[in-house]
Amino acid sequence: MASVTLHGIGKSFGDTEVLSQVDLEVADREFLVFVGPSGCGKSTLLRIIAGLEEASGGDVLIGGQRVNDRSPRDREIAMVFQDYALYPHMTVEENMSFGLRLRGLPQGEIRARVSQAAGILQIMPLLKRTPRQLSGGQRQRVAIGRAIVRKPKVFLFDEPLSNLDAKLREEMRVEIAKLHQKLRTTVIYVTHDQIEAMTLANRIAILNKGRLQQVGAPEEVFGQPANTFVAGFIGSPTMNFVDGAIEANGTGAIFRAKTLCLNIPGDAAAHGASVILGIRPDHVWVSALEEGQAAQGIVADVEVVELLGSKKNLHLLIGDTRLLASVDASIPVRAGDSVSVRLKTGAIRLFDKASGNRL
Amino acid sequence: MVERRAPNLRGLVIHGLILFACLVCVFPLLRIFSVSLRPGDRIISTDLALIPAGASFAAYGKVLKQTNFLLWLWNSLVITVTTSIIGVSLASTAAYAFSRFRFPGSKLGLALLLGTQMIPAGMLILPLFLMIMRLHLTNTYLGMVIAYSVSSLPFSIWILKGYYDTIPRSLEEAALVDGTDHFGAFLRIVLPLSMPALSIAFLFNFTQAWNEYLVARVILTNSLMYTWPLGLFGLQGQYLTQWGMFSASALLVTIPVLGVFLYSSKWLISGLTLGGVKG
Ligand SMILES: Nc1ncnc2c1ncn2[C@@H]1O[C@H](COP(=O)(O)OP(=O)(O)O)[C@@H](O)[C@H]1O
Ligand SMILES: [Mg+2]
Repeated sequence: MASVTLHGIGKSFGDTEVLSQVDLEVADREFLVFVGPSGCGKSTLLRIIAGLEEASGGDVLIGGQRVNDRSPRDREIAMVFQDYALYPHMTVEENMSFGLRLRGLPQGEIRARVSQAAGILQIMPLLKRTPRQLSGGQRQRVAIGRAIVRKPKVFLFDEPLSNLDAKLREEMRVEIAKLHQKLRTTVIYVTHDQIEAMTLANRIAILNKGRLQQVGAPEEVFGQPANTFVAGFIGSPTMNFVDGAIEANGTGAIFRAKTLCLNIPGDAAAHGASVILGIRPDHVWVSALEEGQAAQGIVADVEVVELLGSKKNLHLLIGDTRLLASVDASIPVRAGDSVSVRLKTGAIRLFDKASGNRL
Repeated sequence: MVERRAPNLRGLVIHGLILFACLVCVFPLLRIFSVSLRPGDRIISTDLALIPAGASFAAYGKVLKQTNFLLWLWNSLVITVTTSIIGVSLASTAAYAFSRFRFPGSKLGLALLLGTQMIPAGMLILPLFLMIMRLHLTNTYLGMVIAYSVSSLPFSIWILKGYYDTIPRSLEEAALVDGTDHFGAFLRIVLPLSMPALSIAFLFNFTQAWNEYLVARVILTNSLMYTWPLGLFGLQGQYLTQWGMFSASALLVTIPVLGVFLYSSKWLISGLTLGGVKG
């Protein structure tokens, strides 16, 4: 068991800087997920922790010990690779016991650990097969098994589910969550899939272009995103963003966009500031216009309706401002209708237009 | 999956052609065999029978008893096996460096290796001889091994580098995390997976060294150090060429090569493909 600490990690490949000033503390037994778009440096960061890549600057600490100069095998970590990286010329059993044999554990101990891990992962019947004879999901289990027999201080996962089909991915996601509950080992998990991040993580670290954007519990990064990038990356469907400015309105403040004007909470301190208003599609409330009645709130045209089962997505147009609303499928709205729209005031997030940071 | 289909015309034609090609290849061998069985007075006969009248293995006996054939065979074997082992060891490690590491001159190095293959072998004999002579290694196994293993090296390196390039790095990285060092990952993961390419390189080294004549001709002058090709050509034409003995020994020397080929075919078609990665 061990914590992992990153101090000012930076990494450049030649002239391209792929990571800069990453500071992070991963607590003992924590499940931390690095999430971010493809190419943002997640794998590089994980490989630096593993010792497979050398940081250009900064320190990596595992269990309080600086490990910059230790080779991967001396860091007491185990890693599950995106392509599983099972040794093709070894059976499942040999794959799983490889690390233990290298460390010279006694035969009995090796056998006990392998069969225990195989039991947990339900791969007992596969032990004598070679990786070629396994399905994708089975390979995934073996790769995880190879990691857990080692009883490492830290597990590192690099997009372990990205090669599986959707259904299997969901299954394995639950299995990994259960496994963490059972083993209580520190896990650092990399994914580009924010749903995986939200469901698995104790804390999420969001990376963009090699910089840490925010670190926090799933509810926190979802509810209190630090900036527009986090707000847009976390949550599905994506948060709506509307450009506008804040104006004073007596004692309160209003948000004014080209075709939209809203009362917003707070005072008019930020008077005149250019801002971006963010609102999640779940918090855009839509009701049908009553015949002959003056519209309450804002009137919008429904451009497209996407039915997703119990929910449906309404693509709304208010003047030339586009807004996505996620509503109950039972609400009788069709493309071409005009609807009345209200925003849940408490769910509105305002971001500084220039920096993108939340106000 | 192999699909079994009823034979069609195309298949028949193809098989016919293959069969014909096989016959063309095998026929000279059969003739040599036939000649080796002929009694001494019938060598120049135009008889086409595979087993000639009065066939005997006398020529084989004469080769083994009256010449240094076994000694030449031994010389060849020592030189060839050592060459192949050293050649493949050097090539496998050099190719690994070319495949996995970027170092100054790696591209140029590869290009130069290929470049050496463009120079006709005959042009290399004199410089090679001069080097071996200055090293005082003429008439030695070591001299021959050096000469042979370096000349096969470029080809072996290219073959192996190409193969290593197809092995995902993540396998070695997994081994590093699991507890090997770099060399351990190479030894335990990369080498076993490269058996098909290693056996091709080994066969190439082996056949090159086994059959080589010109370089041996200039480096070996002592008939006790002769490799079999030198010895065999010595049987030619002192007074008259001993065609029977010549054919018999020609057949005998194919046996080791045949053995090596049959043995390594198991690796060539072993299909140790990289099924362990991806789904
Ligand atoms: N060995 C390397 N040499 C040069 N550039 C690299 C190397 N490895 C990664 N990169 C670059 O670093 C960036 C981050 O890569 P990576 O960490 O793999 O991203 P992610 O895992 O988030 O998709 C990418 O732009 C990639 O092209
Ligand atoms: Mg990656």
